Amino acid sequence: MMSTRALGLGSPLRKTLFSQRTALNQSLVRTTLAKRAVQTESLPPSASNKILNQQRLLRPSSPHFTIYQPQLTWIASIANRATGGALSALLYGFSIAYLVAPGTFDSVHVVEFVAGLPDAVKYAGKALLAAPFMFHSLNGVRHLAWDMTKFMSIKGVYQTGYAVLAGSAIGTIALVLM
Amino acid sequence: MSLLPRLPVPRFSRHFASSAARALATPVQKPVLNKEFKIYRWNPDEPAKKPTLQSYTIDLNQTGPMILDALIKIKNEIDPTLTFRRSCREGICGSCAMNIDGQNTLACLCRIDRKEGKDSKIYPLPHMYVVKDLVPDLTQFYKQYKSIKPYLQNPNPPADGKEFLQSPEDRKKLDGMYECILCACCSTSCPSYWWNQDEYLGPATLMQAYRWIADSRDSHTAERREVLQNEMSLYRCHTIFNCTRTCPKGLNPAQAIAKIKIELAAE
Amino acid sequence: MASSSLASSSKRAFARRSPAFTKFLLASRPASTKPDDVGLYVPGGPVYKGTVNDPTTFPTPSRTHGSHHWSFERLLSAALIPLTGAAFATSPSVHPVLDGILGMSLVVHSHMGFDSMVVDYLHPRKFPVLGPTATWTLRSATVTALIGIYQFNTNDIGLTELISKVWSA
Repeated sequence: MMSTRALGLGSPLRKTLFSQRTALNQSLVRTTLAKRAVQTESLPPSASNKILNQQRLLRPSSPHFTIYQPQLTWIASIANRATGGALSALLYGFSIAYLVAPGTFDSVHVVEFVAGLPDAVKYAGKALLAAPFMFHSLNGVRHLAWDMTKFMSIKGVYQTGYAVLAGSAIGTIALVLM
Repeated sequence: MSLLPRLPVPRFSRHFASSAARALATPVQKPVLNKEFKIYRWNPDEPAKKPTLQSYTIDLNQTGPMILDALIKIKNEIDPTLTFRRSCREGICGSCAMNIDGQNTLACLCRIDRKEGKDSKIYPLPHMYVVKDLVPDLTQFYKQYKSIKPYLQNPNPPADGKEFLQSPEDRKKLDGMYECILCACCSTSCPSYWWNQDEYLGPATLMQAYRWIADSRDSHTAERREVLQNEMSLYRCHTIFNCTRTCPKGLNPAQAIAKIKIELAAE
Repeated sequence: MASSSLASSSKRAFARRSPAFTKFLLASRPASTKPDDVGLYVPGGPVYKGTVNDPTTFPTPSRTHGSHHWSFERLLSAALIPLTGAAFATSPSVHPVLDGILGMSLVVHSHMGFDSMVVDYLHPRKFPVLGPTATWTLRSATVTALIGIYQFNTNDIGLTELISKVWSA
């Protein structure tokens, strides 16, 4: 096609293709051929849904969190769930462990065990507990404010989001040094 | 691709033929600013083939300013099989909703990032079944929209037989909700909608549900609230705010959903 | 030029393939009187219930699972703030009841959070085996944890004091 234009043959070719006589001929040829080649089949209207469903079953699902831009909105939300889940798992774990083996997990043994740890581990452990606690608590307050329809603009969401992050950092340091 | 017309011959011949004055009148040739677009492709005619990212490079100085311009240029000049929905090119039809550089928006309202050496990735709306390339199947989304009866329900027309009247204050309550164009950007940005879209209505539909709950002319408010009283339809919303963050029309579905929750709790 | 020839060729290819393709699809599923989505519908799958013109349906209304659940979750969360403050501000040995309430509330709060995760990620309609298993595992774990925390509060020093002691250990 490209080369025909470059050679200036476009217009004569088009003329031959679309001149009335040949067009008639062509349509004649096309209908005759079509009648032989295409088998038509009459289908009830319900068949359309069947065909559609067969096509649907082949469809892939488009990618989601792997391609979605990391934003404070959903990262903070999943962090809220993760921190809450981790702290709750610890609470459940300790409560059930105490019920199963009260001799091993009583307060005296637990405190003794922690006291025997090196300082670095103690501080790391405290930070590991304080950070999720502070974040989950402060972000929980943010959620409660939203539930009362406060801070619901994008500006409010981001301001409170950064406030929670800053508050968590300060709170964590304070708790670790306590 | 390689088949593209890249023949400078006619242009040069025109230059030779024109006078010096006319040559000055021709616009200054802008420098080439190539940008790579990586676009999600999947062809239903070859369903066994895994979806891929196909790369296209175009000259931004020969392209309009928006992502939709780039897509149309690619479709016109490089690859006519590239499939996407588009119609109004001015952000009112909602057809060209897609995920551009990780965020759901309308291609016609999204400017091309002209930073050099930075590519753009374009995917269909997230976690939707793909009909072809950038075209997602929105059937479920529309079925859900239909389920909230998005029309005025009031069996008692006013005595004068004319229109339902509303105070300016009541009318104001609908602002920020009636403007929704149902592009599905918000719903498909919502992780809760990703995991439970067969049962959870999603932000777009919920905001429209509230648009009718909040309408003073509608008399079915109680029924509209009652259908949402279950674990899935409304309460899968965890106030993540991806919806409001991504809305190309600047609306606030998260706020509408919070208002529904408050109203249901106060009942 | 190049593009238009490509377009027309692909159009032709489609026209050629289409009838045979349709026939193949129809042959693979014999006509029946049942709705078309029976057997194909999977929650969250690509096949939907009913036609494109049928609205989706709602579950049976239940305030227990709706607004009451939501309100209770918020009230409990809000109550945890003063409760935690009060428990740590006062001496736990003087107020064992306060400490007990805090422990119980924390477990219930945790249960609701975990339950929300199960509903979000492992709903029984999608995971008929794993979903109910997760729900019942969670319920039994919650009951066990409640008994455990109660035992710890009555027979030992209680949650608040334990945390204080561990923190200063």
